[in-house]
Amino acid sequence: MTATSRGWVRRRLLLGAGQIAAVPVLVFVLTEALPGDAAVVAAGDDPDPARIAALRASLRLDRPAVERFADWAGELAHGDLGRSLVGGRPVADHLAEALGPTLLLAALTLTLLVPAAVGLGLLAARREGGPLDRAVSTVTLAVYAVPEFALGVLLTGVFALWLGWLPPTAVGGIGRQPAVLVLPVVVLLARPVCSTARLVRAGLLDAMAAPYAVHALRCGVPPHRVRLGHALPNALAPVVQHLARTTEWLLCGVIVAEALFVVPGLGTVLLDAVAARDVPVVQGLAVLFGTVTVLLNLAADLAARRLAPRTEVAV
Amino acid sequence: MRRYALGLGLVAVPLLLALGGPLLAGGPGPRGVSFTAGAGHWLGTDFAGRDVLRQVLLGGRPVVLVAVAATVLGYALALPLALAASLTGRTWVEELLLRPLDVLIAVPALLLVLLVATAAEPGPVGLAVLVGLTAVPDIARVAHAAAVAAASRPVVEALRLHGESWWRIAFGQVARTIRRTLAADAGTRLVGALYLVATAAFLGVGVRPDTADWAVMVDRNRAGLFLQPWAVVVPALLVAGLSTGTNLLFDTALARPRGRGPGAGRCGPGAAA
Repeated sequence: MTATSRGWVRRRLLLGAGQIAAVPVLVFVLTEALPGDAAVVAAGDDPDPARIAALRASLRLDRPAVERFADWAGELAHGDLGRSLVGGRPVADHLAEALGPTLLLAALTLTLLVPAAVGLGLLAARREGGPLDRAVSTVTLAVYAVPEFALGVLLTGVFALWLGWLPPTAVGGIGRQPAVLVLPVVVLLARPVCSTARLVRAGLLDAMAAPYAVHALRCGVPPHRVRLGHALPNALAPVVQHLARTTEWLLCGVIVAEALFVVPGLGTVLLDAVAARDVPVVQGLAVLFGTVTVLLNLAADLAARRLAPRTEVAV
Repeated sequence: MRRYALGLGLVAVPLLLALGGPLLAGGPGPRGVSFTAGAGHWLGTDFAGRDVLRQVLLGGRPVVLVAVAATVLGYALALPLALAASLTGRTWVEELLLRPLDVLIAVPALLLVLLVATAAEPGPVGLAVLVGLTAVPDIARVAHAAAVAAASRPVVEALRLHGESWWRIAFGQVARTIRRTLAADAGTRLVGALYLVATAAFLGVGVRPDTADWAVMVDRNRAGLFLQPWAVVVPALLVAGLSTGTNLLFDTALARPRGRGPGAGRCGPGAAA
């Protein structure tokens, strides 16, 4: 590792630390420090003065925001996420309960994402401008833009209502009936697979046109060996970085897919908490989601750097 | 060319409905029974017994207007910032202007929207501001990367020696040089804004539960999907057509610039067609 490379890694780690520190600040500012009385908002449809007073005490609104933030961040650092305003259960319990389905969805999606995207990209890049390439490029471009909820509802209409092949929601329970996972996973996969496949295709075409690949072809190395052995690894560096950016979509996608297919995961907990204005639960989940995104981005940047150390120069 | 027609065809129906629909909608008719098909309603009735056709005619405008407003706002904030950073010539000013955005870029946009919705009722204007703000880091990053190269050209140096004002150099020269990149990026941002606005509305953020809005219609009428699918399928198709068509249109219009060789447009993941 050279000195500049070490310097880059140090700066990237520093940025990651800054981002992790910024997550709780942002979460706190957006949920508590905005103008308006959080207790009145939290009371919502039940503006009983006694309830508002109780909420105010529970949210510690009588104290200055900076002091509240220091307390909250201190508890956060010790792993204490506070208690829910609805029912008073510890926030950590809420999260632990809902973690399973969300992790299952995320793991399935991530496992299928890379093979599907690389396969599609390889298929399209076999002949640039050919009918297959044009078809794959147009379909990926089109599907990429469709919001998950619209795609999900349309797929439900076709496969659950019209054809009757798949259950429309996961209400029956994930464990008993694995078929309920098909539609959510397809919906989650759609956008990232499309964007990643396009990136794989573009990277492959660029790499196949690079002097080293042209030279290898001229020397008689079979095209599929050049493509898989030499072009693909070079095309994958930007893909790794892109995968990290797609974690953001996956996170949004998980929230939508869980709402759409009634999966009892973290996304559902988050939406219920937003609807009930359960500030501590929202804060806990937001910190969790934000931190995971930051860490995945950091890991992907470091991995992409190892795959192709030139990336920084190229920008 | 075929893709151009496809994009245009996909975007035309939702866009015309969104802009012209409210003029054709007419007054609210009497409320009927929830989730019925036929009976004087071309597309049946929705969860509250209202005419689905009328809701469809009214429901496109908020989606389109909020998304466009958010994109414009994002550019209005990010472009001057990126141009200023690329033209200062002092590294520490550049870092000061852009580093804070690198910290913000890490948090998912939908999460920020949900956070604000917990503490306040954003409404359509608030939603546009929020979505616009979440786009600022990405726009600034793309615009800055393109502007740095444009700002180091001899012509900028010459304009500077000539005593031209900052505004003329920044917007008259640098922004004009990078307009292709900006146009391609604006397409991506508009699609992103449409996605975020529609998804937020589907999740019930920034809208009242009985608003005439395609995304809200999909959410509220889902319960009757098996009784009366049109109340869900029609708005879902319109949202899908709008975002898909916009994406295809921008991509096709910008991928093959006239008078350049093939592959000139292949410069980024979004532009790779």
